[in-house]
Amino acid sequence: MLELFADLVLMPLIAFLFGLVLVLMARRVRAKIERRVGPPVLQPIYDIVKLYAKKTQISHGLMHDVSIMMLLGGFITAEIFLPVPGLDGLAAEGDLVTLVYIMMVPMLGLALGVGSCANPNGSIGISRALTSMLAYDVPFVVVIAGALIHYGSSNLIDVVRIQQEGGVSTWGVTTMPLLAFAGLIAMHGMLGKEPFELYIAPAEIATGPMVEMSGKYMGALFVMQCFQFYTVGVLYVTMFLGGGEMWLTFLPKVAAVIFISVAITNVFGRYKTEDVIRWMWRWPTAIGLVGLAFVMLKVN
Amino acid sequence: MTGSEKVPVVTDQPETCRVADAEEKSLLRKVMDNFADHCRSRSLFVLHYCTGCGAIELPPTITSRFDMERVGVSPMVTPRQADLLLITGYLSVKTLKRVILSYEQMQAPKYVVGFGSCTINGGMYWNSYATVKRLDQYIPVDSYIAGCMPRPEAIQQVFLDLMAKIDAGKATAWQDYYLNYDAYLGRQMNLFGQDWHTPTDVVAEAKHYGYVGNGTTGEHTALLDQRATWSLDTVPELYPARGRNERSRP
Repeated sequence: MLELFADLVLMPLIAFLFGLVLVLMARRVRAKIERRVGPPVLQPIYDIVKLYAKKTQISHGLMHDVSIMMLLGGFITAEIFLPVPGLDGLAAEGDLVTLVYIMMVPMLGLALGVGSCANPNGSIGISRALTSMLAYDVPFVVVIAGALIHYGSSNLIDVVRIQQEGGVSTWGVTTMPLLAFAGLIAMHGMLGKEPFELYIAPAEIATGPMVEMSGKYMGALFVMQCFQFYTVGVLYVTMFLGGGEMWLTFLPKVAAVIFISVAITNVFGRYKTEDVIRWMWRWPTAIGLVGLAFVMLKVN
Repeated sequence: MTGSEKVPVVTDQPETCRVADAEEKSLLRKVMDNFADHCRSRSLFVLHYCTGCGAIELPPTITSRFDMERVGVSPMVTPRQADLLLITGYLSVKTLKRVILSYEQMQAPKYVVGFGSCTINGGMYWNSYATVKRLDQYIPVDSYIAGCMPRPEAIQQVFLDLMAKIDAGKATAWQDYYLNYDAYLGRQMNLFGQDWHTPTDVVAEAKHYGYVGNGTTGEHTALLDQRATWSLDTVPELYPARGRNERSRP
């Protein structure tokens, strides 16, 4: 009981702290690609403390406050269900399907909150965000289904154990490379990076769902970004890169997955909403379905 | 006035207007405040108000040539998220209204920097009927950059000066807007007409956050209060004249 309680505290805490590192890495990589020096090491902490230390803030009603709870709560719950080295949390009780469901909660929470802001940019932004969720969830579900069939279990602890017992040759990325590739594209869409950044679009709809978020609300969104990087990275590592045996190999793997995403994002422009759906439902979905067919042939 | 005459003391202000002395703070409070001020100074989200020519100096300041993200200055796109409002050049009477609306939407602590001679004394537009001559008459300004136009080096210098000021806890111009709102509103009304008002209830904010001073309310805010009793249900004769201000009620 005490161990479980320690897990429930430690897992989100580690997620937040390593998420800060990932956010810093994303900003540094972007700066290097643009031939800049980039922000100092403590910049993510400065930003979050500064936003939480604002002296005035605007709330747009009860739903606006509840939406922040759903945002952070959704991700903190997701951390508890993701097994990391030495800490299993509730991963044995929940499974991959639960996790996929929980990962939708933050975006839905944001939609509820933005709806009460009455800002047209926010409404456009959140409708785009939910549309892009519809776009990347199709290949994502195909990838999840393939992984479930391949491992024969939806329990993430089993998934990690199977990969760790067999070594690199049983990692998802070697046994089902097509699904791993489709999964990488779906993860990229999930992070909301260019070219799938249609719902942030600073120059077009003024950061969309975040347009009315000020002070502490914006601070909560910065915290959420840390969790988002970490959750997506850990989920990918768990499914395709052998999960975590020890922290020294696990965290670099998570950082590598996020690095791929933030490194390629800078060379793209922004797709239109309909183009995102068309592209996501065509290429990653097709690659994922071929990968799924291979997996099913192998299983049979 | 002789020396024996007493200066009238305003007694009807609420208790919250008293600002605690620095000595009164507990040690923990001081450490927390210093840390928060340090973080504020190292993380400035900038909203560019780019209707003047100074906007052209900002891209090199932000991008790879001078790279202001090194010291935590990064551009933001909405006033809600921003800390620092950059007024890059001249303001016409019409654009000043938008600046005031944006400024009131920003969350305190907030800072304003005026770019170039135009915001200081009207610059080369000093004799135009349509431009605003001194920005700090209408919103509180923390720093000015002189020049026409200031080079990116000067912009960097003002960022560094502002950071030092914030770190020392001295960049408190935003409190002046709450403490002397009536005077600011009066000068705005001089320019825009008596029916000028903004969606933000600055007096209520000042009361809520405890920044009420002797100048917060006065004859000009009384006009706002009078207008607040108007509603769509009242008879049309009471509505203000149309056309002088785009936010007049229909």
